[in-house]
Amino acid sequence: MDKKKEPLKKEKVAEDGLTKKERRALKVQVKKTEIQNVIQVNETIVENKPNPEKEKQKQNVSHKTNDTPNDPPVSGKLLSDKELRKLEWEKKLTDQKTKELESVKALSKAELKAKRREQQESQRSAKTSSKVEPTPTKTPSVNIKQSKTEPKKSPVQKQIIRKTIPIQRVQLVQHLYIDNSSESNDKNSILHNKVHPAFVRLGTQYSNKNVLGSNARCLALLAALKQLVDNLQTPPKQEFCRYLETVLKSCTNYLQNCRPLAVSMINALRNFNLQLTQIDTNLNDNEKRIKLQDVIDIYINDDIRKAGEAISMRVREKISDGDVILTYGCSSLIRKILLEAHKDEKKFEVIIVDSRPLLEGKEMLRRLVVAGIKCSYVLINALSYVMNSVTKVILGAHALLTNGYVMSRIGTAQVALLARAYNKPVLVCCETYKFSERVQTDSFVYNEIGDADLLRTTHTSETESPLSKTKDMNKLMPLNLLYDVTPPDLVTAVVTEIAILPCTSVPVVLRIHADEST
Amino acid sequence: MHDKENLSDVSKLVSDIKHKNILSSLDIALRSEDLLKELISQGQWKSARELMNLVKIRIQYIKENLPHEATAANVMRHVLKVIREEYECESKRKVEGQSLHQLVTAHPADVLDYSESLINLKTSLIDHLTEYKVELESSGENIAAQASEHIHMDEIILTVGKSDTVEKFLKSAAKVRAFKVVVVEAAPLYYGHKMAVSLAKSNIQTTVISDAAVFAMMSRVNKVIIGTHTVLANGGLRAASGIHAVALAAKHYSVPVMVLSHMYKFTPLYVGSHNQEAFNICASPANVIPYSAGKILNSIQVFNPVFDYVPPELVTLLISHQGGNAPSYVYRLLSELYHQDDYDI
Repeated sequence: MDKKKEPLKKEKVAEDGLTKKERRALKVQVKKTEIQNVIQVNETIVENKPNPEKEKQKQNVSHKTNDTPNDPPVSGKLLSDKELRKLEWEKKLTDQKTKELESVKALSKAELKAKRREQQESQRSAKTSSKVEPTPTKTPSVNIKQSKTEPKKSPVQKQIIRKTIPIQRVQLVQHLYIDNSSESNDKNSILHNKVHPAFVRLGTQYSNKNVLGSNARCLALLAALKQLVDNLQTPPKQEFCRYLETVLKSCTNYLQNCRPLAVSMINALRNFNLQLTQIDTNLNDNEKRIKLQDVIDIYINDDIRKAGEAISMRVREKISDGDVILTYGCSSLIRKILLEAHKDEKKFEVIIVDSRPLLEGKEMLRRLVVAGIKCSYVLINALSYVMNSVTKVILGAHALLTNGYVMSRIGTAQVALLARAYNKPVLVCCETYKFSERVQTDSFVYNEIGDADLLRTTHTSETESPLSKTKDMNKLMPLNLLYDVTPPDLVTAVVTEIAILPCTSVPVVLRIHADEST
Repeated sequence: MHDKENLSDVSKLVSDIKHKNILSSLDIALRSEDLLKELISQGQWKSARELMNLVKIRIQYIKENLPHEATAANVMRHVLKVIREEYECESKRKVEGQSLHQLVTAHPADVLDYSESLINLKTSLIDHLTEYKVELESSGENIAAQASEHIHMDEIILTVGKSDTVEKFLKSAAKVRAFKVVVVEAAPLYYGHKMAVSLAKSNIQTTVISDAAVFAMMSRVNKVIIGTHTVLANGGLRAASGIHAVALAAKHYSVPVMVLSHMYKFTPLYVGSHNQEAFNICASPANVIPYSAGKILNSIQVFNPVFDYVPPELVTLLISHQGGNAPSYVYRLLSELYHQDDYDI
C-alpha cells in the first residue's frame, strides 16, 4: 500500500515542477503588465503581449532599453514609486538571467562571486530605495548607486542575450523543453545552500553527457548518495533521516534541472526513500548511516549487478554457435552479455547498428573488437540491408512501461520494426528495477530533448553541413529527441532477472515487487 | 573498331554519370534524349530495324557499365517504342490493338520486321522526339502542379533526404497551403540538411530529425512524400537507403506514402529485396566510419548501401506527371511506355 502511494507522490512532484514553472511564468507576466501600466505614462514600451517565448526575449530587450532612461536623475514621489517597482522587476530579471546563464555553462568562481555581489547590491539598492521612498531629497543617492551597478551588469547581459535568442522550439514538443529561466531560480539558491558537492559534480556530468546510459547514471547517483549519507551532519534539534530527506530532495531537484531523471534513478531513489521512512528512529546517527549505506549497497548489488548477471546467463543460453546478433547503440548490459558469451567460446558475429547524433555504437564496437568478437558496423539507414542475415536482435532498454511499451534510446523502435518485417526475434534486456508504473503510447508526451545543434553538424564527411549557418532561420528547427517507445507487438520477449517474459507482464512484476517491499 | 567508334556518344554519357558530372535524373534523361536525336539525324541507318539495333546496342552498353542506372536505358527504351509506332504509322500497317483473336490468326508474314526504308520516318521521329523532350522538361512542373490536390492545410509531411521533384512539389504546395515539413537528414550523406535549408528559405516550417527518430515522429505525420531512384515493375521502389524503414513505420501508423516519380523512372524490372547483391550498391564506408578511426578498421566490416528495396504493399500512391496511380497499375503504365519486346534487352 505504502509503495503504491509513493509513486503517486513522485509523479506529482514532477508534475508540480511543471505547473510551478508555469505559475511562475504567469506571475512574471502579470508583474510585467503591471509595470508596463505604470511605465506607459512616461515611456513608450507599449507592446502587445505575444506568446511567452517571444515575451522572454522582449523582456531582455525592454530591460536593456530601460537602463538608459533610468540613468538621468529623477525626483518626485510619483517617480520614485515607479522606480522602486522597476527596480524590483529589474532585479528579478537579472536574477533570472544570471541563472539562465549558469545553466548554460558552469561559471568560474570569480564570475560567481561577482554575480553574487551584484545581486546583493541590487537588493541593497532596492531596500534603500524603499526606505528612502517618502523623502525626495535622497533619491539622487539611489540613482548614483544604480548607475554604479549598471556597467557591471552589462557584460553579463550581453552574453545572456546572445544565448537566449537562438532558442527555437518545435511546436509539437514544446512542453518538453526545460525552461531554464524559471527553473534555475531555485537552482541558484540550492547551489549555495544544500546541494552536496558530489551531486553538483554528478549534475554537470549528466548535463555534459559524460555519464550516459540508465545503468551508469543510476550507479553514479547511488555512489553520490552514499557520499551524501556519509558526510551529512545533522543540525541540532533535527532528526537525521528527516534532514536527509529534505537535503536529498533539493539534491534531486538540482539533478532534475541538469537533466531529467532516468526511470532507473527514480526507482532507486524511491526505494531509498522507502527504506529511509522505515528506519528505526532510536538508532544514533552513525548507526543510521551504516544502515543506509547498507541499503544502497544491497540495492546496487542485488537489483543492478546480480540482475545483470542473471539476465546475461539467460541470454547466453539463447545464443548459439553461428548466430548473427544485431544490437543497437551501446547498452552496458548488452555489452556485458556479448562479452561473456564470447568468453563462453560461443561463435557468433555481431552487427552493431548506430545512429546520429550520439554515435554510441562506436564505443560498443571498440570494446567488442578489443575482446576479439567479429563485428560489423552500419548506420541505421542500412538496417534493411543487413537484417536479412541476422538471426537475433538484442536490444537494451531505458525503461519498461506498464502498458508493455519499451522506452529506449531513439531508433530502437525502428530496429524492432525492421526485425519484425524480416521475422527476426527481438529480445529486450531489462532489469526489473527499470520497470515503471508510467504508461505511454507515443514518444512525445514524455521524452527528453537533446542538444539540437548536434544535428547541425555532419559527423563523418569533411564538408560542413549547410545547417550550421542557419541558426537565425526561424523556419528551420532541428529536433533531437533522446527516447522513443516501442510497441509491445514488435518485441518478442523481455529478458529480466526473474524470467523471460512477454512485454505485457510488466504490471505483474510490478505488483510482485510492491508486495515484497511492504 | 567500327563498333567502338559508334559507341563514343554513349560511353561519354556513361562516364559522365559515373563521374557524377550529371547528377539529377532529369539531366540524365535529357542527355539520353539528345543522344538519340543526334543518332537519328546523323546516324548510319537505312531502315527502322537498323536504327532500333543501334539503340539496343546503346542500351546494352549502359546496362553492362552501369547496371543500376535505369533512367538512360528507360528513355532509350521509350524511344524504341516511338520508332516502332512511327514505322507502323508510316507503313500504314498499324495493328489496331492486339486482341486474342488477332494474335491467334496472325500470319507470320503479317508480323512487322521494320526493314522497309521509309522516307518520312526520320523527320517524323525527330518531331516526336522534340515533343518528348518538352514532356521531359515539363514533367517536374506537371507533378508539382498536382501538389494542392494532395496536401491540405496544416498538415505535417515527412520527407527523406533531397529530391528535386519533392522539393518542387512542396514549394508549389506552399504557395497555396500552410503546412509543416519534417525532413529526415539521411545520414551519412546528409542531403536532408540541404533540403531543409532550401525549404525553410521558401518559408516552409521545417523540422530536421535524425534517421533514428523516424518511428517516433511518424505518429504525428499526416503524409510521407518521397522521391525514388526507380519504380520497379511490381510497383516496388529502389529508393535511397533508409526509406524502407520509413515506409514500414508509415505502414505501422497507417500513414499514406506518396512517391513522386517521373515517367522515365518506371523500369520493366523485377527484383526482390532478398537479392541485395544484384540489387544494391555499397558506397565508400568512409562516410560511415572515417579512415581516421585507425587500427579498428582492420577487424571490422562496414557497410554503406546506397539503395533500399521498398515492396509495393508499402507504397500508397505513385504520382507522375499524368497523375496518381496505385502501384498495382504500374504494369499497365509500363506497357504504355515501352514495347513488350523491349522489356528485356
